[in-house]
Amino acid sequence: MADKNESETSGVSRRDIFQILGAVPAVAAVGAHSHMHMAQEEPAAPKGPYKRQTFDDHQWETVKVLCDLIIPADERSVSASQAGVPEFIDDWIAFRMEQDANQDPPAPKADATEADILRPYLRAEIFGGLMWLDHESNRLFEKTFVGASVDQQKQLLDRVAYPGKAAKDDSPWVAFFTQFRSLTVGGFFSSKQGVADLPYLGNRAVAEWKGCDPKVWAIIEERMKTGYKGVLEAKPWGA
Amino acid sequence: MAQVKAAPKTYDVVIVGSGAGGGVAAHVLSLAGAKICMLEAGEWFDCTKDAKMFEWPYQVPHRGAGTKYKPWGAFDATTFGGWQVPGEPYTTAPGSDFMWWRARMLGGRTNHYGRISLRMGPYDFKPYSRDGKGFDWPITYDDLAPYYDKAEQLIGVFGSQEGLENTPDGKFQPAPAPRGYERLIKSACDRLRIPCIPSRLAILTRPLNGRPACHYCAQCGRSCSANANFNSPGVHIKPALTTGNLEVRTGAMAREVLVGPDGSATGVSYVDKKTRTEVEVRAKIVVLAASCCETARLMLNSKSSLFPNGIANSTGLVGKYVMDTVGSAVSGFVPILQDLPPQNEDGVGGMHLYMPWWLYKEQAANKMPFARGYHIELGGGRAMPGEGALGGYPTQFLGGGYGVDLKQKLRKLYGCEVHFSGRGEMIPNEDSYCEIDPHVVDQWGIPVLRFHFKWSQDEILQARHMQETFQQIIEAMGGVVTHKSGAETNWGIAKGGEIIHEVGATKLGADPKTSVLNQYCQAWDVKNLFITDAAPFVSNADKNPTLSITALGWRTSDYIADQVKKLNVKV
Repeated sequence: MADKNESETSGVSRRDIFQILGAVPAVAAVGAHSHMHMAQEEPAAPKGPYKRQTFDDHQWETVKVLCDLIIPADERSVSASQAGVPEFIDDWIAFRMEQDANQDPPAPKADATEADILRPYLRAEIFGGLMWLDHESNRLFEKTFVGASVDQQKQLLDRVAYPGKAAKDDSPWVAFFTQFRSLTVGGFFSSKQGVADLPYLGNRAVAEWKGCDPKVWAIIEERMKTGYKGVLEAKPWGA
Repeated sequence: MAQVKAAPKTYDVVIVGSGAGGGVAAHVLSLAGAKICMLEAGEWFDCTKDAKMFEWPYQVPHRGAGTKYKPWGAFDATTFGGWQVPGEPYTTAPGSDFMWWRARMLGGRTNHYGRISLRMGPYDFKPYSRDGKGFDWPITYDDLAPYYDKAEQLIGVFGSQEGLENTPDGKFQPAPAPRGYERLIKSACDRLRIPCIPSRLAILTRPLNGRPACHYCAQCGRSCSANANFNSPGVHIKPALTTGNLEVRTGAMAREVLVGPDGSATGVSYVDKKTRTEVEVRAKIVVLAASCCETARLMLNSKSSLFPNGIANSTGLVGKYVMDTVGSAVSGFVPILQDLPPQNEDGVGGMHLYMPWWLYKEQAANKMPFARGYHIELGGGRAMPGEGALGGYPTQFLGGGYGVDLKQKLRKLYGCEVHFSGRGEMIPNEDSYCEIDPHVVDQWGIPVLRFHFKWSQDEILQARHMQETFQQIIEAMGGVVTHKSGAETNWGIAKGGEIIHEVGATKLGADPKTSVLNQYCQAWDVKNLFITDAAPFVSNADKNPTLSITALGWRTSDYIADQVKKLNVKV
């Protein structure tokens, strides 16, 4: 459980912890265990600036703007670009292209469809979608997407960000935006800043496991009786 | 091969494989005083040095995502191995889907497995007598119960005393308290009259034999730097090495069991992977524990004038009746869990509650459309966010969106997922077996396996029942089903081998004409050849195999030690 002590960190390094665990008798190790707080390691410092593998300079500017329109900074955490999401997406696309090319081809099937033969082409979908943002922005506003005002940018996103409401002709761009948003959201919430935003409170040694916090369980039980109107409505049980 | 090197020494025992089966044999026999040589095809692995505990996805390339040769991601304890091993192929017969996970490392699959430790029950040893399908074991639950006791007390298993039908309790450490979403699942199951009880995992909640208790970081699959979960290197092999009776050779790919003129086994010939030379180990007793199918492969490849179909294969049954576990999964999203005060829901590396099979009475009354049962495994909650975290939520739950509004809604939806996986019994059948592929060899020159596999209607209808039940549980929680399978995929039934519970291939029996091994896992044809992995299994109850491998391997090892004392085996 995330009581105060466990969320603190001490100066003990991970290596020290395992020297402690390995070097002392079991009973003593439990004692040491119960006082031990995991030092949260900093990510290894990147060697020099990130080297782009996927996007050119103009695409890169567009990606950064788009990421921050999807996940802007708010009172709890930074924006997607401040959390390294553009770098994540650039690397992820390169990684997927390499991995997909590296897989064994699917076994030939008598009834193979085009989808079986053509691998999902993530890079083309993202590149094509970024092109559309500029095409459409040029057509409507006579500016590139990056050069358009925030209101103009949002005017375009509003057309593609809500699949149920989008025009049929926009469906390729809805698919692009859904894909891009998925990468941005996943990249953000798996980043150091995103983990702290949620917050995810694990990945640390816990001295004593107590199970669900009774206060949290009381809330759940109350909701079972009365329901709960959150982002998604939960109805009372048995209703 | 450059040359054949014969080692001068004769060991008491050579053991092929270092996983659950090889590990327990080495442990028991080294303590009994036998001089042992253990062969492992992979490299050395020491969890206290090599585990990836506490690393974050954002600290490693691509957030730790899986790759072709590291399919379960950067942190998985399987340092070398997976569905494909470079240079070591296997093939499948036309119409057969089979996947084969091999962990080429000291301790094999015990390094990353789920630590689920369920005893087979009395019914599970006599399935044929109960429903006329498959085969009975030549032993009963009572024969193995004392060895379950020993195994649990050595490896350390938590659980609770429940007294449920065909779900024997064991020598348990205290079980960890359930997480919030698990308590909610239990509430739903109580309403549906499905038993939901503390799980039984080989993870220490109390110190044991110098190993500390779990520190609840939920990362058992990465292997544990503290050695707080069961793994063969840390629990079996390290203590065995301290006896001075065990020598472990890594990078040693067994290719043939050697046979003397009298038909007894004289040792094992292996390829030393580093030098690509062939080496022979001489021993008085040969124990095979290379994993179910790898053991069958080694036996089928051990052809001689005395054993033209492979060693100990006069029945032709080596490789037959390969079984896996029936698997099918459903996921859901439970709105009642949204926007709760944050808490750490890591716990042990696995579920704190599970549901054992509960419909024995209905089955006995002939009210079920399939034979045999399954248990339910569960997951969910505020798990460590990986690369795709929350990525699908905008379209799945929010109708789309972007901006501050999206960001604020997303964090409220974190922790609402629940996952259910069924693990059910497969009945052995004539269409599921492995054999030597006549055309394909691996890079060590060893002919490879070709798999044949087929599910029967019993398994497919079981998968349907899983799908229906899991969806009912999610609905009872007021949740929405987000991932399910229907008739078009045989209710999402996993491919053969995909659950990584292969058993069978050298079945035990009471009759030398219809089985490969006697009740002590001793080959009928070769008295000094024993098997301690899952190949001897006669059936594959829904109880995950590792604990039963350990108990059965222990019983076999006790028998070997006893026979040596009585000189019933030529030494």
